[in-house]
Amino acid sequence: MTPPIRNDQSQGPLTTAMFHVLLALAGEDLHGYAILKEVEVRTGGEVKLSTGTLYGIIKRLLDDGLIAERRGRPAANDDERRRYYRLTTKGHAVAEAEAERLQKMVELARSRRLLKRLRPAQS
Amino acid sequence: MAETTFKTTGFYRMLLKLLPADFRGDFGAEMEQTFEEQHAEASRREGFGGLVRLWWATIVGIFATAPREHWGMFRQDAIFALRTMRKNLGFSVAAVITLGLGIGANTAIFSVVHAVLLKPLPYANGERMLVMAQQAPQEGFFNQPFSVKDLNDYRAQSRTLDALVEYHSMAFVLLGGREPQRVQTGVVSANFFEVMGVKPLHGRLFVEADDNPGAPAVLMLSYAYWQKAFGGDVTVLNRKFTMNDRVHTVVGILPPLPRFPGEDAVYMPTSACPFRSSKQTIEGRGNRMVSVYGRLRPGATMQQAEADLAVISKRLYKDYPDDYAPDYSLAIKPLREEFSRGVRTTMLVLLAAAGFVLLIACANVANLNLSRAVRRERELAVRSALGASRLRIFRQLLTESFLLALIGGSVGLLLAWNGLGLLKSIAALFTPRAAEISLDGTVLLAALGAAVLASMVSGSAPALGAHGHIAQSLKEGGSAQATAGGNRRRLRSTLVVAQVALSLLLLTGAGLMLRTLMNLQRVDAGFRSDNVLTMNIYLNFTKYSDREKRGAFWNALLEHVGKQPGVRSAGLTMLVPLASDPMDMTGNFIKEGQPIEKGQPQPVGDFRVVSEDYFKTLEIPLLRGRAFSAADRDKAPAVAVLSKAAAEHLWAGEDPVGKRFSADNGRTWTTIVGVVGDVKQLGLDREATDEMYVPLQQTPLLQASLVVKTAGDPVALAGAVIRQIYDIDPNQPAAQVRSLEQVRADSIAAPRLTTTLLGIFALVALGIAAAGISGVMILSVSQRTHEIGVRMAMGARPGEIVGMVMRQGMTLVLLGSAMGLAGAFALTRSMQKLLFHVGASDPATYLSVAGVLAAAAVMACAIPARRAAQVDPLVALRTE
Repeated sequence: MTPPIRNDQSQGPLTTAMFHVLLALAGEDLHGYAILKEVEVRTGGEVKLSTGTLYGIIKRLLDDGLIAERRGRPAANDDERRRYYRLTTKGHAVAEAEAERLQKMVELARSRRLLKRLRPAQS
Repeated sequence: MAETTFKTTGFYRMLLKLLPADFRGDFGAEMEQTFEEQHAEASRREGFGGLVRLWWATIVGIFATAPREHWGMFRQDAIFALRTMRKNLGFSVAAVITLGLGIGANTAIFSVVHAVLLKPLPYANGERMLVMAQQAPQEGFFNQPFSVKDLNDYRAQSRTLDALVEYHSMAFVLLGGREPQRVQTGVVSANFFEVMGVKPLHGRLFVEADDNPGAPAVLMLSYAYWQKAFGGDVTVLNRKFTMNDRVHTVVGILPPLPRFPGEDAVYMPTSACPFRSSKQTIEGRGNRMVSVYGRLRPGATMQQAEADLAVISKRLYKDYPDDYAPDYSLAIKPLREEFSRGVRTTMLVLLAAAGFVLLIACANVANLNLSRAVRRERELAVRSALGASRLRIFRQLLTESFLLALIGGSVGLLLAWNGLGLLKSIAALFTPRAAEISLDGTVLLAALGAAVLASMVSGSAPALGAHGHIAQSLKEGGSAQATAGGNRRRLRSTLVVAQVALSLLLLTGAGLMLRTLMNLQRVDAGFRSDNVLTMNIYLNFTKYSDREKRGAFWNALLEHVGKQPGVRSAGLTMLVPLASDPMDMTGNFIKEGQPIEKGQPQPVGDFRVVSEDYFKTLEIPLLRGRAFSAADRDKAPAVAVLSKAAAEHLWAGEDPVGKRFSADNGRTWTTIVGVVGDVKQLGLDREATDEMYVPLQQTPLLQASLVVKTAGDPVALAGAVIRQIYDIDPNQPAAQVRSLEQVRADSIAAPRLTTTLLGIFALVALGIAAAGISGVMILSVSQRTHEIGVRMAMGARPGEIVGMVMRQGMTLVLLGSAMGLAGAFALTRSMQKLLFHVGASDPATYLSVAGVLAAAAVMACAIPARRAAQVDPLVALRTE
C-alpha cells in the first residue's frame, strides 16, 4: 500500500524546475550533469538549468526527502566527484500528485476548447 | 587545453564563494564536475558563442541561488535564535536593555553630529558661500562690521566673488496684527536669499526693484514666525503691516531654514530700513553696521579669493588711510564653518563618550554570553557531532547576537525618537541648525551599523571560543572543559578590565567638565546678579528719531520705575553683561597730550553707554573718582568712567582720573571722572574687557537694557515694570524679560549641558561596569566553590575568604584603572578647549574619579565576597 501523500503545502510550493528534476529522476537514477541533459532534451531545449539553479533544487529536494543520494557507483573509474540521486517513495508520490493535478488542468482547458490539438508525445 | 580547464575551474570556484560555506562543502566539488562537463560540451558543439551563453547562464544562476541560500540559512538560525532567547528570557531582556541604551545614546548624538557637522547646508549654493570679516589685529578687532561704502567697493572690485550680500538685524515694532509686536527683523540685500540658493515656500523672494530708494516696502516672513504668529495661514501673503510708519506688504514666506545669520522673524530689503537707508549710513565709510557674505565664482578657490580680497583691502587703506588701520585686512571662511563654530569639539567629545558607552555595553553582553556558554556547551557539542561545521556554529551564535542587537537597536531608536524634541531644544543651545535634526536615512543606517558592531563585539568572543573545544569536550570531558573554562575566564577578565578602563575614561571626562562648571559658577563676574530684573527695550526708530525724544523717554522710564514699590534702584545699559549676543563696540581714540606717531595704531577701548545709577544697581564698586551724576546731562561736558582693566592697560602707570581722550580725532574731548571694578562683559570664561563707560544722558540710545534691583523676587515685579513702560508709550513693548541670575545661568548653558550629558554617560557606564565586575566575580565564586570549601575545611576564616575574593576582583579593577588613567591622560587633551581653569591632566580630578570607581568596585565585589564567605565547607567538598 502506498503511503498517504502529504498535503503539498507542507513542503512548500513545487516549482516547475523542481518538477522537471523529479520527472528526470522518475526514469532512472542520475547524477547532476545527466539531470541537466535529461531536462534539456525532454523539453526540446526550452528548459536549461544552470549548475547554481540545479543544486539549489537538489538541496531543497534532499531536505524535503523527495530524493536521496544513491550509495553505489556504476563504474569504478567513474569521476569521484559525481553523486547519483534517486527518487524516494515520497518523491514519487509527490511527482504523481503533481502530474495528476496538471492532467486535470489540461482536461479542464480542453473542455473549454482552449487546447486546439495535442502535440505528439516526445519519446 | 589543460591550462584553459584549470583557469575555467579556478574562475568557477571563485564564483562558488558567493554561496554559503556549508552549501559549498556539500555540493561544491560536484558542481565543479558538472560544470566541467557542461563547459566541454558547449565548447565542442557551439564554440565560443556557446561558452559565452553557458557562462552567462551560470553566473546568473549562482547570483540567483546565493541570496536564497544565505537567506534560508539566516531564517533557520533566526528562528532557532528566537526560540533560545525565549527560553532565556532574563538574559535576553538584560542584553536588549543594555544594548538599547548604548545604541540609543549613539543614535541620538549622531543625529545631532550629522545635522550640524556632516549634512550639506540647506542652501543650494551653500558650499560656495563665504563669511567675510574685516580685521586689524593690532588694533584689537577681528570681526568689524562693514559700511555700505566698504561693501560697494568690494562688490565692484572683486574678481573671484560673483555676488556679495549684506545683513544686519534690528528690532522693529510690527503693527497690524492682534497687538503691537516687537519683531527681530533681518535687513538684507534684495538678492540675499537668491544668492544663497533659497527658494520661497510661498510667494516670491525680494527682487532688485524692491531695493530701489523709495520702492514700495515689502516683507518676507520666516517659516518659524509664519507658523507661530499666523498658524501657517497662506492668506497672510499680500497682507499689509505698518513698521516704522511705512506700510509693508508681505510678498513671500521662506521655507524652514537654520536660524542664520540671526534669529529673525521677518526680513526686509535695505531700502525699507530707515536706519540703513539714511544718508549718513550710505555715505559714511566709517558707519560700519552690516555683515557681508560673498559667493565664490564657479571654479574660483578660497586661496584665489583670499589673494583677490587682500589686493582690494590694501588698495582701500592706500586710498582712505583715515578710515582703515595700517594692518587692515579681510578674513574669509566657508559658511559651513560658521555653523559648526564652537560646537565641533563638544559634538565629537559627546560622540566619543556615547561610543565608549556602547563598547562597555557590548563588553557586558559579551560577558553574559560567555557565562551562558558554559551551559550551552553540551548543546553545541551535539550539534557539532551531528555535522555542523565550525563556521556554521559561529554563524548561528553571531545570528543570535545580531538579533539581540537588532531588537536592542530598535529599543534604542524608540528612545532616540521619543527624545527628539528634547534633543532639538538642547542642540539649539549649540547650533542654529537644530531644526534640521531628524532620524533620517543616514542616522538609521548609522544605528544599524551600531547594531551590527554591537553584535560582532558582544557575540564573537563566545562564538570564537565555541567550536575549538566542543568536539574535544565530548571526547575528553573534564580536562578539556577545564582548559576551555580557563580560556573563558581569561576572556571574561579581559572584558571586565576593558569595561573598567572605558568607564574611568568617561568618568574623567565628566569629572573635568564638572570642575569646569564649578569654576565657571564661582567666577566673580564683577557685579551682583541676585534680585536684578532685566529686559530689553527697542525704541521705534521713526517715533524716537532725535536725541531729545530718546533722552526724554529714558529719563521718564527711570523716574517711573524708580518710584515702583519693591524697586531699590534702576539703570540702563547698552547691553546686559553676559548677554548671548554681545555687540562689538570697540572704538579707537587718542589721548590728550599723547599724539600717535604715523604708522602706530591708536589705543582701542570697549565703549559702553550706561545710565547714572547703573553701577549702583549692579553693585559694581567705585574704585577711584566718581560715577555718573545728574550733572552729566546732555550738552554738559563729556565725561567717561573707566573699568580697572581699561585704566591699567590704557593708562598704565598713571592715574587716569582727570585725563582726557577723543574718539573723533580731536574734535571733541571727554574727561575721565572715575574708575570702577571690572565686569565680565563677554562671558564668565573670558577676560574682562577694557570698558570705557559714557553716560546715557549724553549718548541717548535707540535700544537699551533696563536693569532693576528689587527687594524680593525680580521676576514677580516684571508685570508692574512693563506697565510703567506702557504708561509712557503704549506701543512700546519690552522683550527678553528675565532675571540677571537667569542671564548668568544661560551664559553657561552649553558647558552645563555637556557636563550633564557626560555625567549621565559616565554613570551609566559605571553602573554597567560594576554589574559586569559583580557578575564575573559571582561566576568565579561559584566555580571555585570546591576550592573555597577545601580552604575553609583547612582552617581559613571567612575574613580570609572575603579578602581572597576582593583581591581577585580589585586586581582586575586596578589593571583597568591603570589603563583607563593612561587613556584619559592621552585623550582628554582633545577636550582642553572645553575646560576652564582646569588642566586636562588635573591630578585632583584623576584621583577623585579613581576613588569613585574604586568605591563602586568594592561594592560590586562585596556581594560575591560575602557569598564566598557563607559557603558551607561540607556542601562545597561534595561539589566536583
